[in-house]
Amino acid sequence: MAVFQAALVNEIEKLYKKKKALVAVLLSLAVIVLGQLVIVGVRSGFGLRGAGSLEFPMLVLSVVVNTVLPLFTALVAIDSFSGEFSHNSMRITLTRPVSRFKIYTAKITAIVIFILATLLLLLVFSMLVGFIFNTNSATLDSIVRTLFSYIVSLFPMIVLALGIVLLANLFKSGISVFFVSILIFIVLKVLGVVFSQYSSLFMTTQLDWYNLFLVNSFPLGKIVRQFLIMLGSGIMLFTAGLYLFDKKEF
Amino acid sequence: MEPIIEIKNLTKLYGNGRGIEDINLDIFPGDIFGFLGPNGAGKTTAMKIMTGLIRPERGDVKILGYSVTEDYEKAMEKVGCLIEIAESYTYLTAFDNLKQLARYYPDVDHKRIDEVLELTGMSKYKNEKPKKFSLGMKQRLGLAAAILSRPKVVILDEPLNGLDVEGMIDIRKMIHRLAEKEQTTFFISSHLIHDVELTCNRIGVIYNGKILNVDSTQTILNNYATLENYFVSEVERNGRVSSCAR
Repeated sequence: MAVFQAALVNEIEKLYKKKKALVAVLLSLAVIVLGQLVIVGVRSGFGLRGAGSLEFPMLVLSVVVNTVLPLFTALVAIDSFSGEFSHNSMRITLTRPVSRFKIYTAKITAIVIFILATLLLLLVFSMLVGFIFNTNSATLDSIVRTLFSYIVSLFPMIVLALGIVLLANLFKSGISVFFVSILIFIVLKVLGVVFSQYSSLFMTTQLDWYNLFLVNSFPLGKIVRQFLIMLGSGIMLFTAGLYLFDKKEF
Repeated sequence: MEPIIEIKNLTKLYGNGRGIEDINLDIFPGDIFGFLGPNGAGKTTAMKIMTGLIRPERGDVKILGYSVTEDYEKAMEKVGCLIEIAESYTYLTAFDNLKQLARYYPDVDHKRIDEVLELTGMSKYKNEKPKKFSLGMKQRLGLAAAILSRPKVVILDEPLNGLDVEGMIDIRKMIHRLAEKEQTTFFISSHLIHDVELTCNRIGVIYNGKILNVDSTQTILNNYATLENYFVSEVERNGRVSSCAR
C-alpha cells in the first residue's frame, strides 16, 4: 500500500507541477464566468429571468459534462500515458520497486482526482456566482440534488477517462489518441440520437445520467441499470488498458 | 558464493533477427561487471530485461534471489539503474526529480538526496530544471537517481555517455568508492573499452546476442596487452566460427 501511495502522490505532484491540469481547471471556471455573462445579458437585454441561484450550477453542469470536462479529461489522460511514453519518462517510474499494476492504478486514480476536483470547484464557484448574481431559488432539497448531480457526474467521466487511457495504450502518438477520442465521442453522440432506444448503452449518453437524480419519482431501476452498465464498461476498459500497459515494452 | 544476479537461458529475439539468445551469467557480490559488445550485440536488450522494461521470451533473471518476471517489486527493492539515456521530468527541478523517486524508499530522506547530488557534482544545480541541462548533467542526475536508495546492485547502461574526461574520472571514482565502502555490485555496459578496463574487475563479452566469454580483468590483462586486444580477438574468433559454419 505504501508503494501505491508513493506512486499516487508522484502522479498528483506531476499533474500539479505540469500546470496543464491547473490551466484546465481555470478554463473550466472561465465557463462559469462566460455563462453568467450570457445570463446577465439575457436578463437585461430581453427581460427574461435566465436562471435562478441553484438553476445556474445545473446549467453549468449540463454544458461542461458534454464539452470542456471530457476535453480536459482527455488531455490529462493522454498526457499521463502517451506523453510519458513519447518522452521515455515512463522508464523513470517503471525501473523502481513498484509493479505496473500499481503504476497504472495510481495514474488512473490521479486522473479521477483531477476530474473530481474540477467538478467540485465548478460546483462551488457556480453556486457562489448563482447566489450572488441570480434570484434566490434555493431550498435544502435543491441544494442536495445539485450536489448529488455533480458527484454522480464523476462516474461517466471515469468511464470516459478509462476509454481514453485504453486508446493511449493502443496508439503510439498522443495526437492520434486525441483525434480518435474526439471521433469516437462524436460517433457515439450521433448513434445516441439515431438509435435512441439503445442510447443508454453509449458512454456519451451516460454523461447526462445525473438528470435521473433530478426526476421527482426517483427511477431507482433505471439508475441501477445505468450504474451497472457504467461499472461493466469501466471494468472492461480498465482491464483491457492494464493488459496493454503490462505488455508494453519500453 | 551465492550470485547476486542470476541470468538463466535468457532469450529475446526481435523480428529483425537481433536480440539475445540463451544468455547465462552469474554476477557475484562485489563484482564490478563490465558488459562489452559491439553495437546491436544485445547489451541493452539484456539490461532492459534485467530491469523489467521488456519481457524475455524464455529464461529469467533473479536479483538477490527474486525473479524479475515474477516478483518484480522484491527484485528491484535494492536495485538502482540507468538504462540508455538518463530520463528526467523536465518540468521538475533536479531535487524534485529525486524526491519523486525517494518516495518509493522509506529510508531515503531529503538529506540523502542532497548527499547524492553532492556525490555526482550536481548540488549547485539542484533547483534548476533538467530541460536546460547538458547531456553530461542529465547523465549525472541519472546516476544520482541510480544510487539514491543505497542499492546493493547498480545496473548502468552506457553510464559515461555525454560526460567529459573530468566527469568520467569522477564517476569511475564514485563506482570504486561505492563498491569498496558499501559493497555495491555493479553491472555496467559500455562501448568505452579503456574505461571498462579501468573500472571493472570482471568482464563479459557479448556478440550477436550470445555470451562469448567471461573472465576477470586481471586474467585478461595477464594474457593480453590491453582489453581492446582481448575484445578484438574474442570477436574475431567468434566471427571466424560463424563464417566457417556458413
